[in-house]
Amino acid sequence: MRGTHPFDRKVEEMKPSKSEINWVIMDYLVSEGYPGAAEKFAQETNLPSPVDNESIRERVQIRNAINRGRIEEAIEMINEIDYEILDKNHHLHFHLLQLQLIEIIRTILAKPGGNPVANDFHPAIKFATEQLAPRAPTDPKYLQALERTMALMIFPADKMTKEFKQLLDVKLRQQVAADVNCAILESKGERSEARIRQLVKARAWAEQEARAAKVDLPVLTSLALGPDESMDGDAMVS
Amino acid sequence: MAHTRQSSRAMDVDGAGSYGSAPRAGAWSRDRLDCPQHEDHPPFFTPSYLRQSRHVQRLHRAYDEHVADLQEQARMSPPEPPPLSTRSSYNSLHKMHASHIHHHRPAVQDVIERLPPPTEEDRSHPLPSRWSEEDRMSGLEILADGTEVRFGGVTKTSDEAASIRADHPMPKECGLYYFEVTILSRGKDGMIGIGFSSRKANLNRLPGWETDSWAYHGDDGYSFACTASGKAYGPRYSSQDTIGCGVNFRTGNAFFTKNGVYLGVAFTAVRSHGLYPSIGIKKPGEHLRINFGRTPFVFDIDRMMEQERKIVMTTINKADVSVLHPPDDENALIHKLIGQYLAHEGYVETAKAFSRDVHDQQQSLSSQPESFHLPDSDDDIHAINRQKIRKSILDGDIDRALKYTSSYYPHVLEEERNKDIYFKLRCRKFIEMMRRYTELATATSSPVAMTKSVDSLRSNGHADGAPLATDVGDGDDGADTQMELDDQLHREAPRGQEPPPTDDIDMDASQELPPKASFMKQGDLLGATLSYGQELQHEFGSDPRQQIKKQLTELFAIIAYPNPADSPIGGLLDQSGRVQIAEEVNGAILVSLGKPSSAALEKLCAQTEALLDETAGKTGGAAAFINVRTDFLQA
Repeated sequence: MRGTHPFDRKVEEMKPSKSEINWVIMDYLVSEGYPGAAEKFAQETNLPSPVDNESIRERVQIRNAINRGRIEEAIEMINEIDYEILDKNHHLHFHLLQLQLIEIIRTILAKPGGNPVANDFHPAIKFATEQLAPRAPTDPKYLQALERTMALMIFPADKMTKEFKQLLDVKLRQQVAADVNCAILESKGERSEARIRQLVKARAWAEQEARAAKVDLPVLTSLALGPDESMDGDAMVS
Repeated sequence: MAHTRQSSRAMDVDGAGSYGSAPRAGAWSRDRLDCPQHEDHPPFFTPSYLRQSRHVQRLHRAYDEHVADLQEQARMSPPEPPPLSTRSSYNSLHKMHASHIHHHRPAVQDVIERLPPPTEEDRSHPLPSRWSEEDRMSGLEILADGTEVRFGGVTKTSDEAASIRADHPMPKECGLYYFEVTILSRGKDGMIGIGFSSRKANLNRLPGWETDSWAYHGDDGYSFACTASGKAYGPRYSSQDTIGCGVNFRTGNAFFTKNGVYLGVAFTAVRSHGLYPSIGIKKPGEHLRINFGRTPFVFDIDRMMEQERKIVMTTINKADVSVLHPPDDENALIHKLIGQYLAHEGYVETAKAFSRDVHDQQQSLSSQPESFHLPDSDDDIHAINRQKIRKSILDGDIDRALKYTSSYYPHVLEEERNKDIYFKLRCRKFIEMMRRYTELATATSSPVAMTKSVDSLRSNGHADGAPLATDVGDGDDGADTQMELDDQLHREAPRGQEPPPTDDIDMDASQELPPKASFMKQGDLLGATLSYGQELQHEFGSDPRQQIKKQLTELFAIIAYPNPADSPIGGLLDQSGRVQIAEEVNGAILVSLGKPSSAALEKLCAQTEALLDETAGKTGGAAAFINVRTDFLQA
């Protein structure tokens, strides 16, 4: 066993209280939409229940609709909450419409038999001309995004470059769903990002700063998260 | 001289209460706290812009602990009465004189007093709080508890002046340091320099002109950085103007303000340690007042601090999280951190619900839905046991918690290192009894007859002593005290809902419960509480440790108050105390199971704070602006 490094002692002294951690967890469950867990957590910790569980479920429904590719449905639900959310967030509205176009194209590409012919793309082209084309001139970024999305129709799947594949990756749905969640929270005057996101970023940043300042650091023990990782592991040598 | 001092002492005594303490060699405790390190302990102050500063919060804690220690010592050994003879206390008076009243002393004496100041810097890096008594030029008088300075001497040559430094350098751990100086009076053709300097800078010229000194001068509005040739910087300043001076240790820039208006960067690449706020004046009667943050500033430094914090936050938001636990990205890492915390702490139901929620979310992305299976884990039984113990404590049912603990983990509370936790649990039971007594008392005063049960209140050990159960309707003192105690009203978790034991521990023995239908009147409850108190006293009263004695005394004092909840020690009765103990018991069990007492998420927080603290102590840079507790663990 190596001796205790002064830094490790400092870490011991700086432990947060459990109620502070519980707060961070509840903050995450509420703002990122985990209603079931939030309710149980309130019971198990004696914390007050989330004030507005209904609005969490609302956000979860929208998130799930976007994750499933049902963008039109999601846009309707967002407008039901507050028309201004999309009216005020032009970028977000455009992203949703772009995603809707991608989903239309995805369905066509996935048609049994493969190799869709030009006529099959008709609904996609119609949506693009009606919904996206009028917005494209307002911002060069929109124009570029529209061009790329339309190009999905002409590239054969095996010749697609990375940036086109990204458009078809379901991660894009997750990203848009997260942006929508933020926008809804903001529209209700709430903090848009869960604190734990900043916290993990701060952890990464703080180590980088400390190394740059040549702070005398021990081997930082890993974040023991899996069953095979020991708390005393040395996985984080840099 | 002696006469002056005597009369001034009388004045001080009248003005500021009594000074009583045994004089010890060189130490005079003006605030009755016989402290070898400090003459007195003026109230700690936190400048508004540093409220979130980790460094200042630590200084504040250290101050509170220091004063509490001294008070405790003073309580243990009361000081001797103050000496009556002026002669014997001459030394102390002299010191008090030096720090408290105007100086009218010949220059010779000043020179002697300006012998090298203590070389060992205070390693805690305190905030500047007043002008230094030692680090000043002759002819300068310090007034108003070290916040004002006036020139009473004469300067011989044209570039001679009198400068003074604050008692401590500006700590870089603050990230940004700021102070303001108000010119109460500027002499005819006077010259004033406001800025900062190291101890290397001579005090017989204005700051800015000397090596290792930087300042903004009032007569020409120039800024001077370690040289007598300055640069045009800001407007001139004179009587009634307030000049602010700030150093940003993140950027290395220094700036000034005039009457609340920012004047721009004056110096760059300012170094980060050993720089004291400093001023210099040269005409008789020139008089300045400094504000180190004890009172509000004219300039909105809070806003600047907030802008700085936002700049750093923007950088943090760009940090790459994927290096922390490859190959996890941010989302995956957060899910794992939360899942591990919930499992580690034994929040069994939440853990299940969370993995189901996460699963559902993943499913919505995938085209082939899979049904949800909870992962099996060996830890489940321990998690459930710990959950039961926690629930009991959170419900205020300490007996049940003790029973569960001793049957699932028989030796945990007997271990030497957990003695305190055991003591706290036993005390908590007393508190819970008092809580219920208070509830009853409140209910008694209301016309509606309430019924409550106290079956869980009976302590294991003394059932033979106090007659806890009395007959219902045993009418003695009127309807109001005919309080029946009903199960439903105060048991948040009826025993009927207890899940059956999931392991092979024989709960028959440990779950032997007090009689179901035990009813108790308010008076009986007080009796039971008292006899439980005696039991506590018997068990722990002989403990030699001061804090145990103190806690017991505090605990028993609750009984004296007719309405304990509103008493000065009413905080003891607060429900939040349950959470604290529940956490400590949980931690002790985890350690006994060979697991770390804290989860990865807790460790991540602590590591972040420690990394920031170390970095801020070294560079005073961006890390100083971020405080894990106030920035990430609160709304």
